[in-house]
Amino acid sequence: MLKRLFLILGVEALLLVVLAVIPLTVNNSFVLGLLTLLAIYGILLIGLDITVGYLGQVNLAQAAFLGLGAYTAALTVTRFGFGMPAALIAAAAVGCLFGGALSFPALRLEGPQFALSTLSFMALTTTALNEWESLTGGAQGLQVPRPPLFGVMLGPKGFYWLCLILLVFVWIAMRNLLSSQWGRAFEALRDSPIATDAMGIGTLRNKAAAFTLGSGLGGLAGGLYAFNFQYLQPQVFVYDLMVILLLGVVLGGRKSLWGAFVGATIVVLLPNLLSSRILFQAFSGLGFLLALTAGIRGFVTKTTRPFQAVAPVVAMGMLVVGGIFTSNTEDWRKAIFALMLFAVMVGLPEGLMGFAASFLTRLFRIPPPELPEPVPLDEVLVKKVTDGGPLLELLDLKHYFGGVRAVDGVTLTISSGAIHGLIGPNGSGKSTLVNVISGLYAPTSGGILLHGKPLAKGSLFKVAQRGLSRTFQNLQLFSELSALDNVMVAMKGIYRSPLPLVLLGLTRKNERRAQIDALTLLKMVGLMDDCRVPAKDLPYGAQRFLEIARALARRPDLLILDEPAAGLAQPDITRLLQIIRRIHDRGITIILIEHHMDVVSELCNIVTVLDHGKIIAEGEPGEVKRHPKVIEAYLGGTVEPAGQQYIEQGNIVPVPA
Amino acid sequence: MNDSVVAQMVVSGALMGLVYALIAYGFQLTYATSKSINFGQGELVMVSAFICLSLTNLGLPYPVMVPLGLFCGSLLGLFVERSGVRLALEQKSEGWILLTIIIGLLFFSVSENIWGRDDRPFPTPIPSDAIQLFGISVTPVEISVAVGVFMIMGIIELFKRKTLLGKAFEAVSADRDAAELMGISATKTIMLSYSLSGMVAALAGILVAPITTVGPTMASALVLKAFSVAVVAGLDSGFGVVVIGLFLGALESLTSYYVGSGWREAPGLVLLILALAIRPTGVFGAAVIRKV
Repeated sequence: MLKRLFLILGVEALLLVVLAVIPLTVNNSFVLGLLTLLAIYGILLIGLDITVGYLGQVNLAQAAFLGLGAYTAALTVTRFGFGMPAALIAAAAVGCLFGGALSFPALRLEGPQFALSTLSFMALTTTALNEWESLTGGAQGLQVPRPPLFGVMLGPKGFYWLCLILLVFVWIAMRNLLSSQWGRAFEALRDSPIATDAMGIGTLRNKAAAFTLGSGLGGLAGGLYAFNFQYLQPQVFVYDLMVILLLGVVLGGRKSLWGAFVGATIVVLLPNLLSSRILFQAFSGLGFLLALTAGIRGFVTKTTRPFQAVAPVVAMGMLVVGGIFTSNTEDWRKAIFALMLFAVMVGLPEGLMGFAASFLTRLFRIPPPELPEPVPLDEVLVKKVTDGGPLLELLDLKHYFGGVRAVDGVTLTISSGAIHGLIGPNGSGKSTLVNVISGLYAPTSGGILLHGKPLAKGSLFKVAQRGLSRTFQNLQLFSELSALDNVMVAMKGIYRSPLPLVLLGLTRKNERRAQIDALTLLKMVGLMDDCRVPAKDLPYGAQRFLEIARALARRPDLLILDEPAAGLAQPDITRLLQIIRRIHDRGITIILIEHHMDVVSELCNIVTVLDHGKIIAEGEPGEVKRHPKVIEAYLGGTVEPAGQQYIEQGNIVPVPA
Repeated sequence: MNDSVVAQMVVSGALMGLVYALIAYGFQLTYATSKSINFGQGELVMVSAFICLSLTNLGLPYPVMVPLGLFCGSLLGLFVERSGVRLALEQKSEGWILLTIIIGLLFFSVSENIWGRDDRPFPTPIPSDAIQLFGISVTPVEISVAVGVFMIMGIIELFKRKTLLGKAFEAVSADRDAAELMGISATKTIMLSYSLSGMVAALAGILVAPITTVGPTMASALVLKAFSVAVVAGLDSGFGVVVIGLFLGALESLTSYYVGSGWREAPGLVLLILALAIRPTGVFGAAVIRKV
């Protein structure tokens, strides 16, 4: 534990000291200029990494936020005569404001649509900066004197230290944020928006928060940028800059503060690298050798696809050949960026720091952070008192997909404390019914009451807030997050920490508590030892159990299990039965959708059978199995003794009539 | 304000809008099969136009140059698919967004170094002397744009409906997994869609170059507006892109007249953001049912 802290914090502190001391020892304005730019781009790229790395969305608007921040700071000073602090705050605020405004249309969007909306925003910003000449001076540019900071005129060195201090603040605040519930929520959002809502985390506020924050950092960097160069032109903040910024984040390594810093270093050094031919040749040669080694290694160990091994080598090879034959590398700068970005995207998707981090962890044998001991289950899931009264009531619920009546007038009461089975042949409307109850679909008509009060319709998030939790038939885990984080991110009750406290790192105690609770739940489903494994690397059965643990983290009154036994082997089914019994023991009401009749008979006190969207039978499992309509629904045609036998063996499988 | 000037503005803007529609149609072709689009499509338009210019300068007559240019366009489309899209689709990631941007940047840089940074005129046998139609002057070049756009869209739609290969295309669009189970190679169909999309981009370049001249940045504004058209219309409606293309072309021509030519890109961009905010599936697109 100490070793870990010492190594990680030590390296960061060392870097900071070196960066802070350089201007004292090296008296060179060129170096100082580069360092200042490094600090500014560091802030900018940390902001960009929030959307590109954590949210996993291609954000093409960060250059626009840099520009907006720069012009805001400039105008605050030139037009209104404010000092530097006010100008920087205004720059960050404008970044947040526009980021927040843009995040609302962008909120519902994923992937290409998100990229397109940010691209449009950037083009629009460039147009406005160019055309609104009365305000921005248009293509002529805008002169910005550097205002004093609290009465002190900052020279180049002073300004550099200011930028560095801000970078350190941003760094610390972001580390606190991203290792908190917020950071986990951002990543959860990337992996499964549906589960993020269903677990009551909320896609909306998290996506808006992430984007607003990232844009705010872009604005702040813009303010510093304005006072650094003291001259602004709209054509700086265009598409080309955006590509370079993306190059920085991707090459440095996503989801990493160090990655953003390394990326910023590359972005700052690149123009100088390109201006000298010999330097460029050396650099491209190095890149080629790297790609070649990685390619051969990948090829031999068969860990990568052939394309992933070959394409970066070809791209870097083109760079080497180009470096020999072209006289002026500046002319080809876009092609050089493109080839480098391509090689990294394909060959080293986790970036330089992603690669270095795993390598260094192994080299120094840095142990992962220690985990607390779990507590008795009773402290996490306090036993609820159940009275057997109605918990969930469905009143003539209908849901149609066009002409298909998937749920066609279901009236049903789930009593508190029950394990209520819901069965029916494939396509009978079970899953649709559950999706309507949990808020994925808004019902065509009908009512849903929980604890006698109407439940929000068509909002997973609001339903989850009311104490209803569910698992998914097709797993919806947060695949990149560890098992522990999967449970922690859904944990109810710890989200309350306000953002400023999180940024200052004052919520560690809450964090610890959440860790303990999550580990306790993982222990209950038998996944304690796998808690650090990313969800996508767990075996199939374990993934099903993890979903149950995650649903329990909501501390629900009502838990809906959507075919939890599907695809499980027999030993796992036995374990599942135990787990469900223990959950029931905590006073949690359960709706169990299942095809395995033996599981249903074993667990449920009452079973409802659906067919063609309607309830055809309801009663105790034994009763229902003998119900003629049920047998007909499953086997088709008339009732035959053999058919009944078939069902009793626990093999409910729809057989074509 | 003179009515006939407005009418003139609307008509010439709308004819330009057909070019946006054509590029947007190229997005739809690849989106249908692979749910991906080439963010560097504008560079395909530009490179194809440059190639056609070089072919013309070699002395090839127009009727020979056009098919050759289209062929080059489809090869470029295949290159984009192989190098930028296929891996990401195999990994089920959205890496293709960045990769196609990167490949576009590479095309851009290569062509500004091969053909230079200046805008050059594009020779065409179609006369550019204006003729009067109902009091509105249009040039035969502008009419050729409309003819070309409708012709290629018609041919591709016919191909999709009438040939076996085209039906495979439709099958993969409707349900990729089911099509694979029926023995249709999704990879090959996606390749086909990218080569068709590249061909469409090349045609857009050939049609628009006589009007805009040829230069490295000729398509950067075009493609932004094509994005708008594709998104506003919906990425799955071939009919929609034509309507929205005509509308946007007219709108922006009026904007540049009334507000200022520097703002001519603005309406498309605002429309795009609004459309995404209000109706992400587009005006003519089908609603998507979320599934779990």
